[in-house]
Amino acid sequence: MDKKIFIDGREFAIDGTKTVLEIARENGIYIPSLCYLKKLGPASMCRVCVVEVDGIRNLQTSCSLMPTDGMKITTGSPRVIEARKMVVNLLLANGNHNCLICERNGDCELQEAAYNLGIDIPAFVVPEREEKDESAAFIIRDGNKCIQCGRCVEACNRMVVNEVLEMGNRGGHTHVICDNDLPMGASSCVQCGECVQACPVGALYEKKGVGKGRPWEIRKVRTTCPYCGVGCQQELHLKGDQIVRIKGVEGAQPNDGHLCVKGRYGYDFIYSKERLTTPLIKKNGKFEEASWDEALDLVANKFKQIIKESGPDAIAGVSCARSINEDSFYMQKLFRAAIGTNNIDHCART
Amino acid sequence: MDKQNDTMIKTIIDRYPKKDSAVMPVMQYLQKKNNNRLDDRAVETAAKAIGCSKGKIYGIATYYTMFNTQPVGKYHLQVDTCVPGFLQGADEILAHLEKKLGIKTGETTKDGMFTLSAVQDLGSCATGPVIQVNDRYFENMTVKKTDVLIDALKSGKEPENDPSMTVVSKCNILLNDRTKKDCRTLAFYKGNGGYQSLKKALSMKPDEIVAEVKEAGIRGRGGAGFPAGTKWTFLPKNDSRPVYLICNADEGEPGTFKDRQIMEFNPHLLVEGIAISSFALNAKKSFIYIRGEFDWIADILEAAIEEAKKDGQLNHVDIVVHRGGGSYVCGDETAQIESLEGKRGNPRVKPPFPANFGLYGCPTVVNNVETLSCVPYVIQNGAAAFQKIGVTNNFGPKIFGVSGHVNKPGIFEYPMGTPLKEILEAAGGVKGKMKGVIVGGLSVAILTAKEAEGLNMDYDSCNKAGTALGSGGIMVVNDTVSIPELALRTIEFYHHESCGQCVPCREGSLVIEHKLRDIVEGRGKMEDIDLILHLTKNIKGLTLCPTGEAFAVPIQAMVSKFRPEFEALVKK
Repeated sequence: MDKKIFIDGREFAIDGTKTVLEIARENGIYIPSLCYLKKLGPASMCRVCVVEVDGIRNLQTSCSLMPTDGMKITTGSPRVIEARKMVVNLLLANGNHNCLICERNGDCELQEAAYNLGIDIPAFVVPEREEKDESAAFIIRDGNKCIQCGRCVEACNRMVVNEVLEMGNRGGHTHVICDNDLPMGASSCVQCGECVQACPVGALYEKKGVGKGRPWEIRKVRTTCPYCGVGCQQELHLKGDQIVRIKGVEGAQPNDGHLCVKGRYGYDFIYSKERLTTPLIKKNGKFEEASWDEALDLVANKFKQIIKESGPDAIAGVSCARSINEDSFYMQKLFRAAIGTNNIDHCART
Repeated sequence: MDKQNDTMIKTIIDRYPKKDSAVMPVMQYLQKKNNNRLDDRAVETAAKAIGCSKGKIYGIATYYTMFNTQPVGKYHLQVDTCVPGFLQGADEILAHLEKKLGIKTGETTKDGMFTLSAVQDLGSCATGPVIQVNDRYFENMTVKKTDVLIDALKSGKEPENDPSMTVVSKCNILLNDRTKKDCRTLAFYKGNGGYQSLKKALSMKPDEIVAEVKEAGIRGRGGAGFPAGTKWTFLPKNDSRPVYLICNADEGEPGTFKDRQIMEFNPHLLVEGIAISSFALNAKKSFIYIRGEFDWIADILEAAIEEAKKDGQLNHVDIVVHRGGGSYVCGDETAQIESLEGKRGNPRVKPPFPANFGLYGCPTVVNNVETLSCVPYVIQNGAAAFQKIGVTNNFGPKIFGVSGHVNKPGIFEYPMGTPLKEILEAAGGVKGKMKGVIVGGLSVAILTAKEAEGLNMDYDSCNKAGTALGSGGIMVVNDTVSIPELALRTIEFYHHESCGQCVPCREGSLVIEHKLRDIVEGRGKMEDIDLILHLTKNIKGLTLCPTGEAFAVPIQAMVSKFRPEFEALVKK
């Protein structure tokens, strides 16, 4: 007989692979969570995702709760709501969660939880505690918005294994540190931005996106990173035609959300005035715009001339590191079969 | 120097099945070598030795209180101002030191001689006020003795410590005659029948030992009261992974100072208990996780293990003494396992439980010092004899620590179920008029004097009375004490010790501390009292580990039972 559970009276079949939170989310049942991130697994730290389970005294964190046959779960009982409200209130109390000026306004999991729980004014307030760290090239850290969920630390250590971020201190003083508590810009961080993508709130955000656009003004376009042959999937966040930020596409091959520093932050070149948009041919010592036919004819004729005068080995081909394998294959084919030389190389070899 | 370092670090690493476990001992070694400071260079050396990031080392260094990433004076004076110290006048000592040294708490004198800190619970509850100077304790301090201490340190001398207190043993099972100079030696222990129980155990089948311990019904003396023998039977059968036994000697519950009595004066009893238990559980490697502040006691244990090894008692098991770094939460078994694996002491999500997935992911049993020290008696005399001591379902001897407002604070080994009144009488009676009593360490609900009447000191009776036996650390509070102030001290401890992992504990303890301070300092409002009760009610049972409950319960009890005192302090 099939095993099943009941969430808020609704029946769901279980196969032992999914947690209660996953089952609920797949079926449109809202349970807020702050520390859980799918690719990192349950953390059970924020305690916002608690639910009530028949026969179990304490509330259970649904992100870590593996359902057993017949389990009856309530996601919105007064007791659950009171506990969740307290947790979100506690988080709002500590730090400076001023949504008005926050880059993540409208795209913040803490804000969403507060909104859904109907918290308008935090029940208690304690003073803020940390300075913003703007020392790094691309990432700003705002400790006053940090909720110590640990996602960035896990992402840095377990996903990209850069081992820069750690939790420092403890208790109410727990905060995220870089190396031995250096400013991010002075640390060994390579600015891959995995931590920014993992952050549920506005504690980590992109320097280049500041003031460029709000989440509701954003159009999202999926594309492939042009930097190398891996083909990472990117989600461009555009306001008009301007990139506000770039995110990795979660759940997509081959990068599952990861991007490197180039792919995530190295996009200025597309707006460069010096960027080539048509072929240029040097005439009388000056570059002049030309059509592709003109340019290709010129190159082909020159190749032919060199082969005729000096033989095919007078020509060598160097392919680009950003080329995909298929392009590199064609490039060598061109040189070996069409031109007739084995002089081929690759720029990254030098 | 570097070469000597390398050799020493290698020796430390070799003690452990996994390199990562050596991280704290390596850091402790480097700090000691480096003027009591773990600077950036030491962090880098440790990271290189263990093969991890600097961030990881720094994260550990700042998690545990005993690592100094910032410079400290030649003498680091640490005054225990937690509840037991508070009841014994530690504040006066601290204020005197501030005046005498001309610095504030947290500062260092200009000449770099002294750093003054207020610290949380040093486990010297009956011998307070206590000042820890670097690795050494100075107990039973007075203002006059503090002057003597400071003057001596200034002239490069260290006076003798005075750890004297009342010691009474009605059972004579766990405590020995500490007045004898050689009480710690193997010869003394064997002269009193020591290691006979181990000899007997080694002739038994491991399962028989487990059965006997289970039959005896030793309930976990760390505070939870879970039957040790039952815990042992949770280990998976026919499992190819190694089994580990960890002796929990991270005695940090304020009001508790019982385990150190065994370890410091009767170390071979614990060694024998671990040796028998390791044999029963088939653990080839066992650990004693002792709080780092008890450095000299760890030395005593290491010496005892060495002696026992030489005497051929430990051929079946290797016992490693592991010093903690200053963290209350590491007394929780999963936090302790994490710490022993060389990490920040954050408790794990359960399940899985340590019996199935403990140290290095292997089957693991964690038992308290006092629990394991009961094992030799059980094996030697049988479960039936053990059950003759104490009361039904609460068998055996129990070490009670009595501190606070009594005339003769100290340590009392009495049968389980002994009336509180009898223990307090042995402690010279209450000094002044009793307002309340905390009977099981700071994390249990305070009883009013009336509620404490007729209370018997065992697990079930205490539960029935709406409190818990916990660790058996009894703190008497007389009517000179303001309960709001006591509550503030209590929450300060838990906020300081919270691991910071889960929100209700980390932020809840912070907000309660703020609100209680507002009340105590006259800025409080009536609704703050209800807010505190709202928080304690919801935090209870919501946190990842029992620490949330450990402060929610006592704070709730103090506020609800003594509410008029809180109301009197707030603006109407």
